[in-house]
Amino acid sequence: MSTETETGVEDGNTLFSDIDLSWEHRKNELFRWLLIAASLFGVVMLALLLFDVVTDFYTGLTEFNISLYEFFTQDGSQEETRAGFKGAVIASIMLMIMTAVLAFFVGVGSAIYLEEYAPDSRITRLIEANLANLAGVPSIVYGLLALAAVVNGIGIGPILIAGAVALGLLVMPIIIVSTQEALRAVPDSVRNGSYATGATKWQTIRRVVLPAAIPGIMTGTILALARAIGETAPLIMVGALFVNRTPSGPTDRFSAMPTQIYNWAAQPSEHFIHLAAVGIVVLLSFLFVMNGVAIYIRHRYETEV
Amino acid sequence: MTEQPSSVSSTSTATRRHVLLGAAGAGVAGLAGCLGGDDEGNGGNDGNGGNGNGNGGNGSSGLSGTIDASGSNTVAPITAWAGENFEEAYPDTLVDVAPEGTGAGFQEFCRQNSDVQSASRMITDDEVDLCSENDVNYGFLEVGLDGLAVVKNSENDWVEDITLDELKRVWEFESDVQTWSDIRPEWPDREIALHARDSASGTFDYFTENVIGERGLIRDDYSATSQTNEIMGAVADNVDGFGWGGLGYLREIEDDQPIEAVPVESDADGGFYLPTEQNIEDGLYSPLARPLFAFFNIASLEERTDLIGSFAQFYTNGAQDYARDQGFYAAPDAATEENNDKIDEWLEEVGASIDDLTVERE
Repeated sequence: MSTETETGVEDGNTLFSDIDLSWEHRKNELFRWLLIAASLFGVVMLALLLFDVVTDFYTGLTEFNISLYEFFTQDGSQEETRAGFKGAVIASIMLMIMTAVLAFFVGVGSAIYLEEYAPDSRITRLIEANLANLAGVPSIVYGLLALAAVVNGIGIGPILIAGAVALGLLVMPIIIVSTQEALRAVPDSVRNGSYATGATKWQTIRRVVLPAAIPGIMTGTILALARAIGETAPLIMVGALFVNRTPSGPTDRFSAMPTQIYNWAAQPSEHFIHLAAVGIVVLLSFLFVMNGVAIYIRHRYETEV
Repeated sequence: MTEQPSSVSSTSTATRRHVLLGAAGAGVAGLAGCLGGDDEGNGGNDGNGGNGNGNGGNGSSGLSGTIDASGSNTVAPITAWAGENFEEAYPDTLVDVAPEGTGAGFQEFCRQNSDVQSASRMITDDEVDLCSENDVNYGFLEVGLDGLAVVKNSENDWVEDITLDELKRVWEFESDVQTWSDIRPEWPDREIALHARDSASGTFDYFTENVIGERGLIRDDYSATSQTNEIMGAVADNVDGFGWGGLGYLREIEDDQPIEAVPVESDADGGFYLPTEQNIEDGLYSPLARPLFAFFNIASLEERTDLIGSFAQFYTNGAQDYARDQGFYAAPDAATEENNDKIDEWLEEVGASIDDLTVERE
């Protein structure tokens, strides 16, 4: 960099000879490295986190003899050697299914209305602005809401349905926003073509717009569920913490994966701490698989639209 | 990456205009939370009743239903272990043990939000008042003995014992002890890192009452936590760490980590004793050994006589084993006799007898 200014001087270009640009160039370079460091920071932290989890996972399997088979076939227990993750995994899966059912139809329905039917009025803009706000509400607030309205209000206790309501409320704004994006990506010419054949609005949405938008909607929904599966705070608020058993239906009490991990991590014995590490690896695997499926769907269908 | 700025700016412009509306929405949610809290106080019964699955029948062969247990973080492992064994014997039952601390637990128990309450100290006058305000009638069982361990780091080679007076000087309100040499002049002039339980716990109440002399009166500049293993971990990580907590948690980690108990002066004979099984069961580790309790709500017993009564009897039958399994000490045999008598009294109160229960007395 500094050679540029030197050549300028050598060429006899005396106009700027009294200005030393080398500091400016150095600042330029410095800033570039700062930005690189900033962008690497997240990657390094993620790598450190994964390394920490994986080493704990490894010592758990080797030094504490945690058998993965038993880990997946036993329920939680106060006795460390009898403790497993089965109840939590099944509770989380049931929770995800119920959350998806609760949030998907309302979320997609609301997005279709906002994108396809709603006039561009003040009320529509108000609804959309509130959805954006809703997406930023801390998750523990949804937990409080479910605690007040469902657990104590209706009085059903800390059961799976209550947890699903909290998580459903949490992910619904995300599903609505991503569905809106997916619907917006369908070109208007396709809609107009459909109208030109005499199709009604509903026929157009059902036969033309939705099929084109469904990969985007699925991607958004899966990513939203991937966020929900790792949520701990709303479930703690709902009170789903200290149950060790596998739930058999939606009205059973439960402890999902993140709350079971939280529970184990608060135990005094090292064995439980390492059980928590194994649990974290399982939870992260769920997250990676769900994110992977979402990415796959996006890439698989992206080109066809 | 490139998409992000545009989407962010579009939402923020749309948002700014309606920020107030959003805030109003959040306010409504907060209000709902407050209202819910009130409901919980007055109508908590509904919540419990719903979980009972209508199991009020006496003498039915299969027990079923949910038992809510609140209470001590220290005693929770014993109650949870008893509950787990109970669930194993009667698969349709569920014992949901939430270890929020004795004080916090009594707030639930005395509002009829739990059926069983584990406690690492006796119920206080305030809590008795709260219970009677809400018409909560209760009884308690003694389920084990706990030592309260005063702990230091293993690399700390200067503290060989500590008197009750020194403990009081370290922990009392507005204590001026900052360094080890403030306790005894020959100890090093290094700052002490103090770790102990917060005021929600029975362990806290017990320590402050029996060492400092008045419940709750403690210095306010130590690091307080509701999790005993955080105390133990912090002391194991720091040569200058010093604290106290339930002995069970120390037993779990003392073999793997550099932490050990300090011999404490006994108010029985003035000697210094470690919290060993022998010393505790002989009454020499005093005043820092204490009985542990499980309180039972008599209204719950009346409502679901077989379920709650059976659990009380089941807990009593195995309490000595459960306590030992979880790193505590067994209550003496006399306590088991006493517990059985109490269960008989409760059952009589609700018009039943021990023969109505599914679980038999051992």
